[in-house]
Amino acid sequence: MAQTYLQNTREQTAALKALKKRRWGGAALYLFIFPWVFGFIVFTLGPLLFSLIISFFDWPIVGKVTFIGLDNYVEMFTDDPMFWKSLFVTLKFAVLFVPLNIVVALGLAMLLNQKVRGSAIFRTAFYLPSVISGVALAMIWSWVYSGDYGILNYFLSIFGIQGPDWLNDTKWSLVAMVVASLWGQGSMMLIFLAGLKGIPRDLYESASIDGAGKIRQFFSVTIPMITPTILFNLITSIIAAFQQLTLALLLTGGGPLKSTYFYAMYMYENAFKYFKMGYSAANAWFMFLIVLTLTFLVFKSSEAWVFYEGEMKKNPQKKLKARKGGQTP
Amino acid sequence: MKKLITYTLLILCSLLFIAPLFWAVTTALKSQQELYLFPPKWIPSVWKFSNFAEAWNIQPFNMFLKNTVLVTAFSTLGQLISCTLVAYGFARFHFKGRDFLFLVVLATMMIPWEVTMIPQYMEFNYLGWINTLKPLIVPSWFGSAYYIFLLRQFILTLPRELDEAATIDGASKVTVLLRIIVPLMGPSLILVAVFQIMSCWNDYLGPLIFLNDQTKYTLTLGLSQFKGMYGVDMQSIMAITCLISIPPLAIFFFAQRYIVGGIATTGIKG
Amino acid sequence: MKKRISLIVLATTMMVSVLSACGGKDGSTGTASQESGGTNQKTLRFATWDTGDALKIEQDIAKKFESDHPGTKVQVEAYADGFDQKLAAGFGAANPPDVMYMWDFPTYHQSLEPLDSFADKDKDLNIDDFYKGLFNYGKIDGKLYGIPAGFTTRVVYYNKKLFDAAGIPYPKDGWTWSEFQEISQKLTDKSKKQYGFGARAENDTYDLQGFVWSNGSSFISPDGKTIEGYMNSKETAESIQMFGDMVKNGSAVLTGGKGQQSGDDIFKAGKIAMWESGIWPLESFKQAGIDVGTVEIPAFTGKPVKGVLAESALSIAKDSKQKDLAWEFVKYYVSNESIKMRVADLPVRQSVVNELKKDQDPLYKPYYTMLERSDNTPAFLLNPKWNEVNRQLSAAVEAVMHGGNAQEVLNQAVKDSERYLK
Repeated sequence: MAQTYLQNTREQTAALKALKKRRWGGAALYLFIFPWVFGFIVFTLGPLLFSLIISFFDWPIVGKVTFIGLDNYVEMFTDDPMFWKSLFVTLKFAVLFVPLNIVVALGLAMLLNQKVRGSAIFRTAFYLPSVISGVALAMIWSWVYSGDYGILNYFLSIFGIQGPDWLNDTKWSLVAMVVASLWGQGSMMLIFLAGLKGIPRDLYESASIDGAGKIRQFFSVTIPMITPTILFNLITSIIAAFQQLTLALLLTGGGPLKSTYFYAMYMYENAFKYFKMGYSAANAWFMFLIVLTLTFLVFKSSEAWVFYEGEMKKNPQKKLKARKGGQTP
Repeated sequence: MKKLITYTLLILCSLLFIAPLFWAVTTALKSQQELYLFPPKWIPSVWKFSNFAEAWNIQPFNMFLKNTVLVTAFSTLGQLISCTLVAYGFARFHFKGRDFLFLVVLATMMIPWEVTMIPQYMEFNYLGWINTLKPLIVPSWFGSAYYIFLLRQFILTLPRELDEAATIDGASKVTVLLRIIVPLMGPSLILVAVFQIMSCWNDYLGPLIFLNDQTKYTLTLGLSQFKGMYGVDMQSIMAITCLISIPPLAIFFFAQRYIVGGIATTGIKG
Repeated sequence: MKKRISLIVLATTMMVSVLSACGGKDGSTGTASQESGGTNQKTLRFATWDTGDALKIEQDIAKKFESDHPGTKVQVEAYADGFDQKLAAGFGAANPPDVMYMWDFPTYHQSLEPLDSFADKDKDLNIDDFYKGLFNYGKIDGKLYGIPAGFTTRVVYYNKKLFDAAGIPYPKDGWTWSEFQEISQKLTDKSKKQYGFGARAENDTYDLQGFVWSNGSSFISPDGKTIEGYMNSKETAESIQMFGDMVKNGSAVLTGGKGQQSGDDIFKAGKIAMWESGIWPLESFKQAGIDVGTVEIPAFTGKPVKGVLAESALSIAKDSKQKDLAWEFVKYYVSNESIKMRVADLPVRQSVVNELKKDQDPLYKPYYTMLERSDNTPAFLLNPKWNEVNRQLSAAVEAVMHGGNAQEVLNQAVKDSERYLK
């Protein structure tokens, strides 16, 4: 093969650059991503386009289907207070949930990253809620949050605090949902933990030789090194926040007074309670565009703050900053 | 002192995560009369272990278990293979429109399932797959955005020099993937497997929509049989929840050390 | 290159093996199962929302039907909580169950088979034996879409122990709402977290209709065209405000919405003395060891009590390919034999009730007195757009439970709903 005559490194690099152009972008790529492309077309794109078409129709699940052009979209924006209400609730939830989710998951992961005995037990305990199925989870939370008979208020009463009726109080219901959602984020914590474990020890050592304290180390070593993980968790958190449905559906039903009426639930009810498939599809496409835009922005911004070890050639100055200790592979 | 704080925090957090589940277990064990007492009775006065067997035998849960294992095993295998291929493709190839295509991958994560559900149902119906386990397994063989994203992020942290050195030695892309990348991916592959097992095991909407006949039901569908339009058999739900949480929990317990321990030890020595 | 190909071959082989592994034995009994099987076996799909013991009974009925009809398999499909979603998917893809439980006829009737011709032809059905009025619930535009299979009226449950402890006599039929409120006040003891009554935070407006009718009003005009002056009439507002006031003055506790600790649960805990519901929780109250009594719904002074009926019926899908067999099953399902097996809801046939002397049992009697009082037509049968109006109404009622003024929020709800009625 072509590589055999490449002897010295300089030649290698030059040839590699040429190779990259020729081979790394060649047909081989498609063989790798083929499964996804095929599955995408068959199981996602097809149904998705279908739903786009549906959104231009008055499409009750049972009964006559009529083409109505953009009417669904017009109604949504101009004539449906629930649309704005649920969108607002979801945004409020996302603003609370996304940062908290990342901070809590990272905090728990850092706690688990300490060298302690029985770490396997602790990890499993922290992950435990993620194993429980939704039906039971909702029941557990209803028992925790109940105003007069709930365990949370029972504990608070021990300290002389009269807790509210969490899920029946519009001031607290959304907060209660955020907390309940945080409880089940074991997978995010796990991803952070894996990211933390991947940071080479010597980076910390050299940082502490440079005189960096624990806090400095956290910001100059830990955070930069796990930026790819943060990016991943940030994007999946945003998506999760916008798709939050199960808990609302099973626990509050959107109440009280629509204070937990998430956009996903609004969409769900339009489809399965009111059977307006066309309208629901229009709702969905709008949400899809919002989340897509947000993700796109985050993804674009990531070029400025995410640091990939494997890609560092592209950003030599970042590499230097992160590897201040001078350790090189 | 520092250790003490760490342990205290760990134990407190653990309690936070375990206490409600402790209630789930004791609820399952209580007698009917004690179920709704307030203030709650933490420890049942009589331990009715028979509740577990009763709940399990009301519906054919053995069959549900078999179906669930089948679906979980095959779909996990499918995700591992397909997502590795695709993630590698996205992480290591430069081509025009890659970022766009990757954004499309991410975009598929954002599609609420409720939207594609009915068209998908029609499609599977056309294929004759309704009331079989196929709709729950086959799509897994074509990758899922979340895992592709996860694995891509991981592969990106692997130094490129590894691939390049191997390429120079004459290895093809496939060899690079199988010999160099995959062995280093061990932990993240286990992570994907664990996530897929969890989500498959607890999937409710998919089985609900695509399965009709009880002989095809999965565990979560069996579980939902205790929650009707007009009433909830809380005790049976808790009993079954406890039972069906054991396998995924055990898997997690054994897998976690590889997930978190693995990366550091296989090391990116460079 | 070879290696690449081999990898693809490998992946494909695994794919195929997986497909055959899960498809081979299961696939043959897939959707097309109606005509499947070499032995000419027919499969009838029957969808139910019931769970637990009720489901068990339904499975037994199906088995009996199978043994009476050799060559037929009844596939009981228990959709439980996901009932509407399942039906939506089934109807949407023209692959619904043959027979299904049904109550929401306005929504589904276009996909259901009209049953008039079946019912008229078939003397065995013996329509006259059914309680009068039950058939009206399954009719849309004069066509019959469902055969009544079970029903319940609503009563007030009371916890005898709490009444005894407070020295208050048990409520009797013919009592009034003011007596009810008085008792509720007396039985409330905040220090014990005990309340006289549990008011639902999220009411099904359907259930509230009984109170509204009892107060001489209704949500919608009898011709189904007007809500102004009905949904927001003084009487309607009054009957809803009453519960909001009880929550406000502390004599009733607000019980959770959909998935939360329900009034049923709190009643089982012995923390509320009175609770209003259908027959569904009765069995579980007994199991929880509550000494429970039932009494008919109180009256507004000087006005006759009206009740609301919750009916479940059996329907046949328009897309079913074996309607005659489906009809046979429906008929069997409402026969004396299987009605006797189904103990979870109330028998729809008078002959069964008389035989079992159900209406003599003091615990069951109120359901039957309430049945006699349930002759109003619920709003959802009067207007096809009721679902939309109801969205506004439900929100208004919820607002009242959280301290809103009934008259004001109902006026607003009427204003917001008008556009659906044009």
